[in-house]
Amino acid sequence: MDYFLSGLRTAVHLLLPPNRELLQIVWLSLAVSGGATLLASGAGIPLGVALASREFRGRRVVIGMINAALAVPAVLIGLLVYILVNRRGILGPMGMLFTPYAMILAQALLAFPLVTALTLAALKGTAREARELALSLGASPRQASFAVIRQGRFAFLTALIAGFSRVIGETGMTLMVGGNIKGATRVMTTAISLETMKGNFETGLALGIILLAVAVVLNVVLQPFQGK
Amino acid sequence: MMRIRLRNLTHSYRKTRVLDRLNIDFISGSANVVIGPNGAGKTTLLRLIDLLEKPSAGELYFDGVAVSGLDESQRMVLRRRIGFVFQAPLLFRGTVRRNAAYGLKLRRRALCRERIEEAMEQVGLRSKMDQDAMSLSGGEKQRLQLARVMLLDPELYLLDEPTANLDPLSARRIEETILRLLQAGKTVILTTHNLIQARRVGDRFYFLGDGRLLQEGTALDIFHFPSSLGIAEFSSAENIIYGDIRNIAGSRCLVAEGQMIQTLADAPLGPAAGIIRPEDILISKGLLTSSARNSIAGTIRSIERLGILFAVGVRCGKLPLTSFITPNSLEALDLKTGDRVYLTFKATAIHILPMES
Repeated sequence: MDYFLSGLRTAVHLLLPPNRELLQIVWLSLAVSGGATLLASGAGIPLGVALASREFRGRRVVIGMINAALAVPAVLIGLLVYILVNRRGILGPMGMLFTPYAMILAQALLAFPLVTALTLAALKGTAREARELALSLGASPRQASFAVIRQGRFAFLTALIAGFSRVIGETGMTLMVGGNIKGATRVMTTAISLETMKGNFETGLALGIILLAVAVVLNVVLQPFQGK
Repeated sequence: MMRIRLRNLTHSYRKTRVLDRLNIDFISGSANVVIGPNGAGKTTLLRLIDLLEKPSAGELYFDGVAVSGLDESQRMVLRRRIGFVFQAPLLFRGTVRRNAAYGLKLRRRALCRERIEEAMEQVGLRSKMDQDAMSLSGGEKQRLQLARVMLLDPELYLLDEPTANLDPLSARRIEETILRLLQAGKTVILTTHNLIQARRVGDRFYFLGDGRLLQEGTALDIFHFPSSLGIAEFSSAENIIYGDIRNIAGSRCLVAEGQMIQTLADAPLGPAAGIIRPEDILISKGLLTSSARNSIAGTIRSIERLGILFAVGVRCGKLPLTSFITPNSLEALDLKTGDRVYLTFKATAIHILPMES
């Protein structure tokens, strides 16, 4: 209980006013996870829409693969990205290892199947109907796709939030490919992990409180846009 | 006027054949009614005509042009001449107004406020235009669907069970709208299970069963001279008598429930069903001497109003029969439940159908 109280005290102390290092950690966390979520959604949402609204060859295979990908542990994705971006990897020449870019790549890969599966689940049933309704009223295929996206806009936000929540709380994989370098790739989760190892439970708790606050604020702010 | 022809139109979902070699020339400017039990392929047929799906085999012709040769944009142009009203009301999220305006917007037609308001007025939704479309009742949603399509003024209307699940008043309003469309020279293809409705609005009837066209014709053909027992049973012909055709004392008779009913001499022997139109059965209090070969005694079990006629249910021994009579006849004969009466009908009034295995 002592830890907790002094942790709270330290947290308040660290936060009011926040020091530069802390701000940098929070900012990098939001930037990396936000970027990864956008990247994952850019690919996952259109794929989810296509899977939900159209019948095409290989559709079932793709759905099966997406569902299987949901079960892949983050650390395995971390390993995969590490293999890709290390100096001898295919992306080695780009020098991405231990940079925020590698972290974004890994987190995007982690969020992608989740965003796709959630979009598909939310639109299944309604997407095909919306598409056919639009077509029957004279829409071109492109206009029909737009109608589907408009009809499902609440579902996309839910998928986006779930994807972001999944990656901002991720630690092991982010540590593997980012390296937790102070001032360069240190994010909230890797910092908490490090501070805890060092016995600085108070600092860890303070970061934990911020992490929790981000999640709560995000959900509260976006609640009204998610529909019923 | 748009002409629609189907040639060997066949459609399968995975391995199930839903439509089987349909050959139909729909009649332009008329109400074409597709009837049949659930799962007969009615909705699939409308979806193929609206080009929402491509048939597995066979061909669809619009004004003599084969649809299979058209590209996506030509299909869109064709689709814009067709209005589809779905069975389960499909609406976009958003207001009633947005739903009504969608099709016009796609065509970049001036979004004439007055036109939309007028259309909404016609279907009684004027006061609800800025409401969320999802909050409408079932009947209102269906009327919104119809109005949304009518605003686009298509040449062909496809109506999939337009009055299923509606209360009688809402159904009536939709029927009146259909009749107005026909007066305006539109072609209507509608599916229904509601046979009373089918007869009220229909000009030409197509009976589908298991994806095949079992019978095509006028109301008289389908309802009084069904080509099979299945159709007769589905169209709930009032008097279906199951029995055996036998030769008794030199005449062909349908023997059922202990009654002998004389039929025409060419009825094939063996198990069969006979159908008698309720309008063809006379009711009298005493035994009539007439040319009609059949007179059966029975007891009145029920008297029900049926539109402008009365349906009188009579039990003759174990055989129930129904006769339609006018209110005047009912009054003149002073018929009440429990009365003993005679039912009289000619041998030619019986339509014999072979039993189906």
